[in-house]
This record gives sequence, C-alpha cells and structure tokens, in this order.
Amino acid sequence: MQITINGRPVEAKPGQTIHQAAKAAGIYIPTLCYHEKVGAAGKCRVCVVEIEGMPALQTACSVEPREGMKIKTRTDRVLAAQKLVVDLLLSTGTHDCLACDQNGHCELQDVAYYLGMERGSFKYADVESVKDDSSEFVSVERSKCISCGRCVAACNNTVTNRVLDFKYRGHKAEIVFDDDKPMGESSCVQCGECAQICPVGALTDKLSKGKARRWDTEKVYSVCPYCGVGCKLELHVDRKKNEIVRITGAEGAPTNNGMLCVKGRYGYDFVGHPDRLTTPLIKENGKFREASWDEAITLVAGKLAEIKQKHGADALMGLCSAKVTNEENYTFQKFFRTAIGTNNIDHCARL
Amino acid sequence: MISAKVKSKIESLMTRYPRKESALMPALMLVQKEKKNNLSKADIEEVAKLVGVTDAKAFGVATFYTMYNVEKKVGAYHLQVDTNLPATLAGAKKILAHLEKKLGIKAGETTADGMFTLTEVECLASCGTCPVIQVNDTYYENLTVKKVDALIESLKKGEMPDNKTASHWGSTCKVLLKNRGVKDATKLAVYKKNGGYTALGKALTMAPEAIIAEVKESGLKGRGGAGFPTGTKWGFLPKNNTKPVYLVCNADEGEPGTYKDRQIMEYDPHLLIEGMAIAARALGSKLGFIYIRGEFDWIADILETAIEEAKKDGQLKEFDIIVHRGAGAYVCGEETALIESIEGKRGQPRMKPPFPAAQGLYACPTIVNNVETFASVPFIVEKGAAEFKKFGPAESAGFRIFGISGNVNKPGTYEYPMGVSFNELIEAAGGVDGKLKAAIVGGLSVAILTADELKDLKMDYASCAAKGTALGSAGIMVINDQWSIPELALRAMKFYAHESCGKCTPCKEGSKMTVRALQKIVSGQGTKEDLANVERLVGTIKGLTLCPVGEAFSVPIRAMVEKFRPEFEALIK
Repeated sequence: MQITINGRPVEAKPGQTIHQAAKAAGIYIPTLCYHEKVGAAGKCRVCVVEIEGMPALQTACSVEPREGMKIKTRTDRVLAAQKLVVDLLLSTGTHDCLACDQNGHCELQDVAYYLGMERGSFKYADVESVKDDSSEFVSVERSKCISCGRCVAACNNTVTNRVLDFKYRGHKAEIVFDDDKPMGESSCVQCGECAQICPVGALTDKLSKGKARRWDTEKVYSVCPYCGVGCKLELHVDRKKNEIVRITGAEGAPTNNGMLCVKGRYGYDFVGHPDRLTTPLIKENGKFREASWDEAITLVAGKLAEIKQKHGADALMGLCSAKVTNEENYTFQKFFRTAIGTNNIDHCARL
Repeated sequence: MISAKVKSKIESLMTRYPRKESALMPALMLVQKEKKNNLSKADIEEVAKLVGVTDAKAFGVATFYTMYNVEKKVGAYHLQVDTNLPATLAGAKKILAHLEKKLGIKAGETTADGMFTLTEVECLASCGTCPVIQVNDTYYENLTVKKVDALIESLKKGEMPDNKTASHWGSTCKVLLKNRGVKDATKLAVYKKNGGYTALGKALTMAPEAIIAEVKESGLKGRGGAGFPTGTKWGFLPKNNTKPVYLVCNADEGEPGTYKDRQIMEYDPHLLIEGMAIAARALGSKLGFIYIRGEFDWIADILETAIEEAKKDGQLKEFDIIVHRGAGAYVCGEETALIESIEGKRGQPRMKPPFPAAQGLYACPTIVNNVETFASVPFIVEKGAAEFKKFGPAESAGFRIFGISGNVNKPGTYEYPMGVSFNELIEAAGGVDGKLKAAIVGGLSVAILTADELKDLKMDYASCAAKGTALGSAGIMVINDQWSIPELALRAMKFYAHESCGKCTPCKEGSKMTVRALQKIVSGQGTKEDLANVERLVGTIKGLTLCPVGEAFSVPIRAMVEKFRPEFEALIK
C-alpha cells in the first residue's frame, strides 16, 4: 500500500508497522524500547509520529499503516515530545559517554544526536552511579538503565532463562535478578543476550571493556567453534592488534537469531592464548617437538597405512566432531569409507 | 515456612482460577497475614515455587503493590493515614502530625517497641468520612485528634475498638441507594423482598441481543470515569467467538474523591451481583470477576457472602463470580492494568489495540465495567430504557451517585439524576464550609473549576465538557479559600508520582520531575524556570503516555497553574 512520510511516497507492506515501513525506506524514526526480536512495548514513547486525522500522537512501533495514511515524523509537536522523553532520560541517569563501552553503539546517543541534545535540563538532584559488578561477564550499570524492558523480554521470551523481571514501580521501577539478587549470585547463566539487546550502556560485556571503540573494530562473521548447533557469530576484531575484542550473535541468523551461550559469547580467550597449539607436535622419546603440517600428515598417513596393512581396514575407526562443519564431517567419513575402506565411522552428536 | 493450613488455602485458590498464576496476589497476602504483616524474600520464594512462577516475577509483583510489606519491619499495628486531597481538605495533615508527636516517630517509621508503624498513604476511598486511618485491615473514619488519642490508648491495650461511624447520604432517585437505610440490606431475603432479582428473572426470558439493545437504547455510559457508552462496549465482543467470555467488574475505586462504588457494594451487594448476572446473560459469560481494591477487605467479604447466598438461591446457575482483591495500586483502575493484575502480574497497562473486548483476560474476550454501571443495569432491564432516560438530559441519561468531599458541612454520597446543578448538590451536602474557592468535580484527574465557573454548572457530560472539565467519576472535592492551590497541586502530583506504574518514560520520570519542580516552588525556592518546567512537563505529557495516567495528572496540574497562576508566581523568588 502507498503511504506518505513527510510528504514522500513510501510503499508499506501489510503487517508492517509505520516504523518498519519507514526504516525500509531509509527514514529514521527513533526507538529505544522496540527491538525486532522482542517486538513493540510502547514504553519509551520516543517513536511518536503525527498522523493526519488522528488527534493524538501515535507510536510508530505499534501502529500499522493504512492505505493513503499521511505521516509526519518531524513536526514541532513530535520533536517536543521526543525531546521531553530524551531530556527526562538524560536528567535521571548517568549517561556519560566518554568511557562508556556502548559509545558509538548506543541508541539513546543516536536519538540525542538526532535531536541535537547534549545533556538533560532538569536539575533537581544529583544522579549517582549505581553499579552491580558481581557477574563474571556482564557489567550492570543501573544508573544508565532506561527501563526499556528489552532485557526482561529477551530473558523471559527469547532465551527463556527467566531470571529477569521488574521490581517496584513508578520512578523506582528497575530490573531485578531473581528475588533481588546481585546478577552474579542469581540463577543467570550469563548467556549475555541481555547485554546484546540493551540499547544503552546499562548491560555491557565485561571482557570488552576498554579494549576498543566500536568504530575501530571490524565485524567478521564466523560459526561458533563449540557445539554442533552452529551459531553464527560476529567477531569484533581490532585489526591493529589482530585481536578479537568482542563476540556477538548475528541477529537474524537462522540457527541462533542473535542468541549465544556463555561459551560462544565469552569463551574466546583461547584464540590468542599463549598455550594454544599453533603447529603440530610430534612426540619423540617422550617429548613433544614442533613439526610442519606436511611432516605430521605424512607421519599419520604412514601409520594408518601400516595398521591397515598389518591388521586390515577394520582395525581402524574414525570419530567425527560436532565442532566442525558438515562439509568437514562429510569429507572425513568419505575418507574413512573410501581411502581407508571401513565403515567404522561415528559422530559425537549421535550419542 | 508457610504453614500447611495456608498452603492448602493457596492450593485451593490455584484451582479456583482458570490459570493458577492468578493466585499469586491472594497467596502473597495470605502469607503476609500469617507472618504478622511482614513478607520476607524467603516467603516470596516459597510462594513463587508453590504457584509456579519465577522468583523475579513474584518479587516484582510483591514490590509493585503497596500493601505487601516486603522486607519491612511493620509493627503490630500498622497505622495508615490517608493524606490525599479529600483527606487533606478534611484536616488529615493535623492528624498525621499529632500521631508523629504522640508516638515519637515520623511517617515511615516504627516505634522502638515494635507496636506501631506509621505510614502516610494515598486515597482510601473514604473521602466523605475523612480523616481516616486504616489500622491493619480496619478503617477508622471521621477522626478527630481526641478520637485518635482514644484509638491509640485502646490499641496499646491490645484492643481494636469498634469502628462503626455514621456517614451522610441522600437519594432523590431511589435506585442505587434505595436499600441504603434498610436494615440487613446485604441479605438476599431483604433484597428480594424489595424487588431484587426480578430484573434477572426477566433477563433470563429475553434474548441476549435484546438485553444489549435495551442497554444501548438507554444511553447508559460507563460510570467509572471515562463515560464510554456501555451498550456500544458490549457490542464490541467478536462475533462467532469460540473462546470463553469474561466479565470483569472494576471495583478498584482508586480515583481520589471517589467513594460511590463502596456504597453499593457495602450496602447493596446483590444489586451489583444482579447487574453482573444480567450482563453475563447478555454477553454469554460463564465467569466473572469483581476486582476490588485490597483495602476494601471487609467489603470483599460482604460480596463473597452475597455471592454464596445468590448461588444457593439459584440466581447464579450458569454464572460464577470470583472476588479478586487488589493490593494497593491506583493504576489498576485502568482496565488493562486490572486484567494484568487478575492474571497475577504487575498492574501495568497494556498497549491497545488489542482492546479487552477482543483480547482481554487470559487473551479471551473480556468486558470490563464499573460497579455503578453494572448496578444501573437491573433498572434498565426491569423498567426499560425509556424509564431510565427520564432521569437526566438526553446525552447524559440516568441517575448517578455524586460523592461530595472536602469543605462542605455534610460530606457524603448523594444520588441524583444526571444534570443536577452543582449548587443543588452542595446544598444537599450542607453547604460550603467557609467561602467557596474552587472545586474538582469528576475525581482528582479532571481540571479544577473556580468558584466563578461553578456558579451555573450542571453535572452532566456535556455541561462539564463545556466548562473545560469532565464529569469523570462524579467525585466532587470542594475547596474553600483557606487552601493554597500550589500546595494542593503538589499533594495531588505526589499521588500520581507514587502511583505511576513505571512502564512508560514520560509518566515514570515526568511525574517525579513535576513533583520536584512543584516542591521547589512550594518551598519558596522556586524560580520562573521551575514553573516553566512544570508547564512544559504537563503540557507535553498529555497524550504522550501509554495509558491515561499521564493525562490524569497533566490535565489537573495544568489547570491549577493556568487558573491560579498568581498564587504560583507569588511563591517564586
């Protein structure tokens, strides 16, 4: 259907919201609580727009367009409403960007930039920083929380770990882990979904703190090396140091849709660890020595051929791994059946 | 540990509701009562396990509602002093100050011997019988300093004194308050003797569509505050629906200045039950809920007894009613927050659409109406829409209970036809105590009117709208010339900030900021910028929030500033 946004004709699909149609057409409507994975919540009120024929402002995250709808996203009324919301958030939280790990990736910063706002104007009390540092992998800075509810929805509905909720009400309402436990003492398994979905610097990845600015890293896609699910990873690589400084799940990936487990998200220190094997080792006289791939493969091939010749092909067996790709597994079993000549082949995921 | 007795009570509650999670709120209250007014984290965990919800959810619910004393040491007698606007106008602040002095503690504290906890609370819907103190579950009304002294002396001896007190009322229509003065009016036999359940009998012979048509024809509008046409709302139920239809009575009565539903439920519970049973017949509902504010514990008991009586008498053959007690949250008067609360959740409003008629309680079609709305239905069905329309002007048909509080000589509830003049009502309420300065005529959430604007006001929807205010819940608060409007604005605003559910940003943070700006002004430290901040906040928040609570505070505060600006400016440096 045809609608107009700020006088510009835009094509909207049935079932889309105004926000989605605008986004597809390259028109920015700020949002803070909305995330495509957890849906519309109607909480932040920053996505309001004016629609011709409707007296009240409407939330673009929830209203679906109708044929011929005329929408305006930058009227005085819309901007005044958005500025008040952002002003209230900036005035009631410790939204300092300088050393914030979310700098450059912060949706509140994006809206403030869009509206040309530097800091809050309501100065009725000092806002103190409130932190919960108890969790091994996730930093909680409560005074940066904007109560958008994304983490609560993600924890309960997306990953269904059901650790998070809200406690108290009014301006005292804030997120709670179990029955008011520090995050590190709660039943949280630190999958980090909450940190990934947090629009601000309230929930951030501890391992990445101070490692590299968001704009200084390159995103490289990969598959998680741990289990057989094959979650799609985004490796955030600092090219200057050639180091992975953060891992996030790839949103929209059919395997994991952005979700990861604690190992996939935070267990990447092995990549650059000094103990990591980077070359084959051959044991001679009870001691390992470094060897080249060619030498190692030649040695193994020789030993396999020797066993086959002495004891027959069925004296050998192969065990495939869930930690490698389907293609590698296929090649491995083919190798066993044709090159070695045995059907003694199994896979750890068949258990 | 929760006792086996309470555990089995909770288990039977879990089977009473269509979904067991709905038992969370009553379960928490049962445990709190067993634990002498206190609720620990361990108790909450135990309840969570029993009811089958997460610890976080149970903790979130327990800390959302004010009546749960989570991790607080509450004394043997919890003295809860209402200081909301109607109470303040009746001198509640003096009562609170007296108690602070007498007990040697401030509000929010407990005496060293653990005997008394003093708490300042929001409107207890006792507006015509203020000042009021709720001691644990019991209301003590019409208090004076002398009566408070006697109350404390008695409590010190471990005795809860008798709490009976008189209140003013009157009725020219004799419908909603017709049984008010009748002895044993809560009993089914008395109700039936006075013609009760005749309308239900008639409704059971009518086609459901015919009942809906009659209610539509009557022009009855919702008596909770929004004034939405009842018949039209009933017509929103989806056609060819295969899910259960739930009927919910909103008896949360939290709007300051409003204490009318209480009169019906306390003195004529069968009138409400009959109204609901007729609506259930019309809408095809098999299960209804009365969501009653938790402070009205004794009224909930009255309702439960009446429902049992009606069941035994065969009046509720195909329809059952569960009385669900709230636990202290104004926002639960909003229908989707109320539905969430019945589902055992934090009382936070939902996004609309979907509207409850399409997807409400347990995601099923749900109709929510106010107590007075349901109580008006038997008359319409029995006597016909034409008779109903004889009361009041065409667009505001019917009778209404006006709750009058504040500076009048006989504050009380008065049943009059819609369109009655403000002056006639004030006369019925014994006239103004002092010189009339202003009045808020539709519950706290509507625009204040000056004495001049009140002169020729008629109490109906159109006349109130023409004056830039609303009839709302018809709770009238009369203000005489000894009150400072900025101070009342601050007290009103503190209420809304306290009751904000915290779900959407403008209400969550904006209500707090408005309080702070007003606080500064009232304390004499304010500047022009603070007044500009108040105006910017209330001017922008109207229409910006997820639910009507944003409007509920921005409209009255804005009107107070606009109409009494010199009083605000006089306080500014």
